[in-house]
Amino acid sequence: MATVTDKAVGASLVGFSLLLFTYYSIWVIVLPFVDADHVLHQYFLPREYTVILPGVAALVVLLCIGAFVGAVMLKNRKPKKVD
Amino acid sequence: MNDIADIRHASSIGLTSYLCAKLSWLSKDGLIPVPVVHREISNIMTKLLEWVFGVSVLGAAWAFVTFDILKMSIPRPYREVAWPMPLYLLVSFGCYSLATVGYRVATFNDCDDAAKELQAQIIEAREDLRKKGLKF
Repeated sequence: MATVTDKAVGASLVGFSLLLFTYYSIWVIVLPFVDADHVLHQYFLPREYTVILPGVAALVVLLCIGAFVGAVMLKNRKPKKVD
Repeated sequence: MNDIADIRHASSIGLTSYLCAKLSWLSKDGLIPVPVVHREISNIMTKLLEWVFGVSVLGAAWAFVTFDILKMSIPRPYREVAWPMPLYLLVSFGCYSLATVGYRVATFNDCDDAAKELQAQIIEAREDLRKKGLKF
């Protein structure tokens, strides 16, 4: 079986993604049908952030991937041949 | 023409291909254009084309609802739900991927004994080869 750290990391990933999915689903799908003066609205950000936050997150992810690829490429540069 | 054998043959290769085979004598002199023989995956409708078609149909439906193109006067809450839909599907797909990766990491079948045995065998093999003269 997987090590304790593996299990912990895996379980935290699953938990985080479930949490994120539930929060985002309620935000996008349930809230428009709930009255504007209901107490539920104070737990959620204004509706524009349903687009802004994933957009920013996607940009950050792309930046990280690009930085990683760049770092690996820099590290694996072969020295130029001296003529 | 043996009718029963023909019918059996037709049912096995599909009606369109059977008709095309039978009608091909007409096209030899260019009289009738024979339709494209229907195979499992048609030569014209590739998988890519299928996906593009499906995505564009869904995209058109989303655009019609979001931008109110046909003035269908859909109630406001439903339009509020519809316009972030592509992003919502993307986020939910990301969450599903993350959950799958996490689950597979947590249930990965490590074989500790086999790993130790393998390491011991590697060391043994290295020693053996070194004795026989192979430089490491």
